[in-house]
Amino acid sequence: MRTVLAVAGLAALAWGGYLLAEFALASTRDAWHAGLWFLGGPIAHDAVIAPVVGAAGLVIATRLPTHWRTPVATGAAATGVLVLLAVPLLWHPLGVPENPGLHDRDYPLGLMIALCLVWAAVVAAGLVAGYRRRRT
Amino acid sequence: MSKPVIRFQSPAHDERVSSRIGIWLAVAFGVCFVTGLISHGIQHSWFWWPSRPVHLYHLTQGLHVTSGVAAIPLLLAKLWSVYPKLFERPLVRSVPHALERGSILVLSGAVFFETVTGVFNVAQNYLWGFYFPTAHYAVAWVAVGSILVHVAVKLPVVRRGLARPVDGSRRRFLRTTWLASGVAVLATAGGTVAFLRPVSPLSTRSDRGPQGVAVNRTARAAGIVVPEDWRLEVWAPSGIRRFTRAELAALPQTTARLPIACVEGWSATADWTGVPVADLLRLVGVAPGAAVRVESLEPTGLYRASTLPGPHTADPDTLLALRINGEDLAPDHGYPCRIIAPNRPGVLQTKWVSRLEVR
Repeated sequence: MRTVLAVAGLAALAWGGYLLAEFALASTRDAWHAGLWFLGGPIAHDAVIAPVVGAAGLVIATRLPTHWRTPVATGAAATGVLVLLAVPLLWHPLGVPENPGLHDRDYPLGLMIALCLVWAAVVAAGLVAGYRRRRT
Repeated sequence: MSKPVIRFQSPAHDERVSSRIGIWLAVAFGVCFVTGLISHGIQHSWFWWPSRPVHLYHLTQGLHVTSGVAAIPLLLAKLWSVYPKLFERPLVRSVPHALERGSILVLSGAVFFETVTGVFNVAQNYLWGFYFPTAHYAVAWVAVGSILVHVAVKLPVVRRGLARPVDGSRRRFLRTTWLASGVAVLATAGGTVAFLRPVSPLSTRSDRGPQGVAVNRTARAAGIVVPEDWRLEVWAPSGIRRFTRAELAALPQTTARLPIACVEGWSATADWTGVPVADLLRLVGVAPGAAVRVESLEPTGLYRASTLPGPHTADPDTLLALRINGEDLAPDHGYPCRIIAPNRPGVLQTKWVSRLEVR
């Protein structure tokens, strides 16, 4: 099983490597751009996103009352995901093609409403957990 | 065991957590890879692709983008679960260990490349100079290859992790992960699932397009000028036949409810009315089922022409459409006429048609 997976994986890697070499040899500029996007992800994650997650988790785990920890951590995770997914829609320094019916919704308003709903649910879950804790 | 650089205390840093998230991540990336491959194959005519069911391509492309979006929270949770490994010292213990660490860098680079360029491309926010489909396709193979190698290496750890039950705090971390993934899907799926549109705040598609249908390339962007003496030319072995728009409108019309399903994951369904391509072929003495090359008035552009394969020219719902939702096509929808065929990628539904050429 492991051998089959490894052989299939190496074959796919080899094919991907060949396609990438073809792509890179066709244009140095494209190769350079794509290389930055390839390395940018792990660097941004390991140096920015994961430390932020760790710091937020540390604050939640040490500063909040027990019954608020899970709701707030879940709300923070949902917030992070929504904000990350909104970035390409809210930030477009090079502009976007004007295509009626595509990427033309009110994204700041939509994001605000979504975040309000998330945090309303967080507050409700925290209050319910606190009420249950006091009863037992 | 050397002294750790940072003391990680989260219960999420545990193989029971990593293996459970890893499985769902493998499922999400697997669906994403296969559906991406299907779309690539159709666009490069690798295999026979049917014209039915009408919504099949809508489904595979919706799944492609949705599984990619669902993978983002899973990926972040998975990486958080194994983050302390980044700080393991010594950095390299042996050649196999160095190879394993190197392969993780390739894996992480490839999956971030795919998800990040994917969501930016869906937003038509092209922050890079390269041609997206070529790069996204090549890196997809690197991603899937490095995932398979990673699973091969880690299989004993995964088995061990799954065999042990998760306790309270780890179960809560997993639940938060599934919930975050669900939120990501709900927030974006309105682009492809019509009834989610009102509750999908980050859906790329609105209902504000002309005649209620989104436009992926406007007539102005395509540089369309419809000549006064526009005629549809049909090139067949028997010769060339020309039709004015009035002549096309006088032919028997068919109305079909068909989606435009974009490779970028949005879709829009409308009632299209026009002349079946099969009828036009019969008028020039060709049996439906022959491949037909469709050319646009668009002077340049990667998608100015397409080839309708046999299954689609034989399908009675493949139309040279003149009208949408009961009105004449707006210029942005392809006036004077456009191709709309069931179960086809949106970029191949050629607009502003000038010529049909039997192959």
